[in-house]
Amino acid sequence: MKKQPWLRLLALLAALGLLVAACGGRSSDDDDDAGSGGGSETTEEGGGDDEPAGDPEPVPGFDGETIKLGVLTPTSGTVSIIGNPLTKGNEVYFEALNAQGGVAGKYKVELDIRDTAYTESTAIQEYNAGKDGVVMYTQILGTAIIKAVLSQMEQDGIAGAPATLDADWVHEPNLVPVGAPYQIQAINGLDWYVTEGGGEGKKVCTLAQDDPYGDAGQEGVDHAAEELGLDLGPRVDFAVGTQDFTTQINQLESQSCEAVVLVATPADAAGALGKAASVGYAPKWLMISPGYLKLLFVGGQLESYAVENVLVLSEGVNWGDTSVPGMAQMVEDLETYGDGQEPDPYFAFGYNQARAVHQVLEKAVELGDLSHEGILRAIEEVGTLTFDGLLSDYDYGDSPADRNPGRESTIFKVDPASPTGLTALGGPGYSSDAAKSFEFASK
Amino acid sequence: MATITTVLTRRASGGRPHHKLDLDGTRDLRILKGPWAKGFAVFLAVLYVAMPGQVSDHTLRTLCYCGIYAIGAIGLNLLTGFTGQVSLGHAAFMGAGAYCTSWFGANQGWPFLAYVLAAIVAGLVIGGAIGPFAARLRGNYLAVVTIGLLFVAHHLFNNWKSVTGGGNGVTLGDAEIAIGPLDFRSLEVNGLEYTFPQSMFWLIWAFVALTALVAKNIVRSRPGRALQAIRDRDLSAEIIGVHPTRYKVAAFAIAGACASLAGVFYSLMQNYVNPNEFTGRTGLFLSITFVAMIIMGGVGTIYGSVLGALLVEYGRRFIADNGADAPILGWPVEQGWLSTGELNGVLFGGLIVFFLLVEPRGLAALWMRIRIWFQSWPFSY
Repeated sequence: MKKQPWLRLLALLAALGLLVAACGGRSSDDDDDAGSGGGSETTEEGGGDDEPAGDPEPVPGFDGETIKLGVLTPTSGTVSIIGNPLTKGNEVYFEALNAQGGVAGKYKVELDIRDTAYTESTAIQEYNAGKDGVVMYTQILGTAIIKAVLSQMEQDGIAGAPATLDADWVHEPNLVPVGAPYQIQAINGLDWYVTEGGGEGKKVCTLAQDDPYGDAGQEGVDHAAEELGLDLGPRVDFAVGTQDFTTQINQLESQSCEAVVLVATPADAAGALGKAASVGYAPKWLMISPGYLKLLFVGGQLESYAVENVLVLSEGVNWGDTSVPGMAQMVEDLETYGDGQEPDPYFAFGYNQARAVHQVLEKAVELGDLSHEGILRAIEEVGTLTFDGLLSDYDYGDSPADRNPGRESTIFKVDPASPTGLTALGGPGYSSDAAKSFEFASK
Repeated sequence: MATITTVLTRRASGGRPHHKLDLDGTRDLRILKGPWAKGFAVFLAVLYVAMPGQVSDHTLRTLCYCGIYAIGAIGLNLLTGFTGQVSLGHAAFMGAGAYCTSWFGANQGWPFLAYVLAAIVAGLVIGGAIGPFAARLRGNYLAVVTIGLLFVAHHLFNNWKSVTGGGNGVTLGDAEIAIGPLDFRSLEVNGLEYTFPQSMFWLIWAFVALTALVAKNIVRSRPGRALQAIRDRDLSAEIIGVHPTRYKVAAFAIAGACASLAGVFYSLMQNYVNPNEFTGRTGLFLSITFVAMIIMGGVGTIYGSVLGALLVEYGRRFIADNGADAPILGWPVEQGWLSTGELNGVLFGGLIVFFLLVEPRGLAALWMRIRIWFQSWPFSY
């Protein structure tokens, strides 16, 4: 057999390398040391009810002065038209807060914004890339995205605020949901349509994304159909980014659907309505809130069709209604820190989401612990999240199992004269018995 | 034969033939062709062993993804670079591997090597099933057929919910990642514990080396020469006794197996599998990314596949992590013209155009030029 001396050299050097690599491992003793970091110690200190906790110790995402929050949102691709204003809402809220001193009046907030491109695979990689540098996520956009990262968030003990209104999040300990879920939007929307919108006896169908967001909307439609005795037609699916909705619109038209619950993001919603308008198909479109974008529905070819046929199911008050304290503050902050951002429902959602996360951070500082564990504890003890009238209060109870979101929605019509292109029909706070009977089961 | 023997034994008066004079082809067949190559291999081996102790988990994660893409790119290079067959359905094979992991590994509790084997077999079978189309189609037509695979997979993965979880996807949970006593979920050696990215780095790059070795052995042997003959002129290859259909099917099968193996590790790193990652438009983009990797790395080279994967994935991660702070490249983000994600897309497209125009043979060719320059120094050729 031919001798190969370089192989022996290779083996020798590899063995040396193993020794070098051994330096990178951690012994059990190291583990113990790591476990006794400031986070867990301050948690114990903060546990006392009588004495206030001290200042939080530096932990991943908090250097003793600045709190770093993560944002997982699409800043590229078709859904960036939602992600960008939503992130602006986060930024404006925290810039205004920083100007007042920050969390607890002394800790400034910084955002680490990462692009998910609205795809699960990218989102998981971006989550893993950023998770060790943030105390929590102030925005994770997309139902499918959250489903993809949630198991890892649970493993890592990291909390995040979903920029999606799926009912699945209500009882999730690692999530900080705000607002009434999509299911409630669909139920209240259909109830309003049947009782006040002249839709009694009309056949109702669904046009939905073929993903968990679409499923969430359909769940609300199914519940409403059962409670209200609707004549329920089929669910027609489409993939995100569908270019031609001819097949879907033909299917809805052939099924004689007189009202269609549209569960989509703006680009797809505009594509579907554009196709319907072009073939003269005009059912009443009940659009779940993420489908709307002023840019696509007001001021263009779709405007007259949208004004005539579209209802947007959302929550909150008319933009600029300064009789609501939260709205007055938001408008002022937008003017000061908005950097040209137009009034936008997604901006408002991002602003409210940041407000919710701010309340959690205040509680965590009060407990003296900004570690990942401390944030989870703060979420449990935060009580009720309030929004100064922009959204209904969200009761977080004593544990995630006790959480009880509001059941209120606002039915908007498309109104080109409004700053956001939307005007509420009959005022905010529409809540149906069907919505109240919907149970938020943990899945 | 007598002539060759005569040449081999021929000596210049008072000396020996130059050590690089190769008259029987044995030197060309060697994997490591000289002392520098052997030294470089030793360097890589030390780097492989030592790196997890020296760099952050974040960097290791990125390198793990680079390794995963390298495995898939090696398969595609065998198919495209060596056999001349176009495939834009590579992501679908990757999805098959990912779902083999979720079903056999996570759901059925199979051991690691068993579900890896299942994934490889699945890739071989699906690739082999696509292969016959290559016998009748070529070029753009074949590319369209392979795109069709993505949409068939989209329908299958989304509707076979008992296995795939449909649109909700499936979480892998604690699928076993162990080879004998080495558990790569929580690797422990001599009382020292290693993190998941550290452990997976060793595992994934071991499989990269294994895949590269298998691929190299294929291309430097008779089947490899047959594949290249088909690529260069399939009619001529057939005339000299090569069976094109058989080799094309084999190339598709091996490429499918490599992509499926990549899918195994991809799903383990992600801990989640969703149909939309591997099919439809996202799948098409992933498949195009593989093509870009072999173009930038070097079509028709094994190490070019690895270089391409490192360039594309590490570059993407660098921009994503640094955004506006990235030197020079981050300027459009700093100005607010592009988001970080958009900048990544622009740079990705720009790199493809750059390599196609300036160096179509990729990084491998650049390396080859440097090597030849040193070999022939001080002469220019």
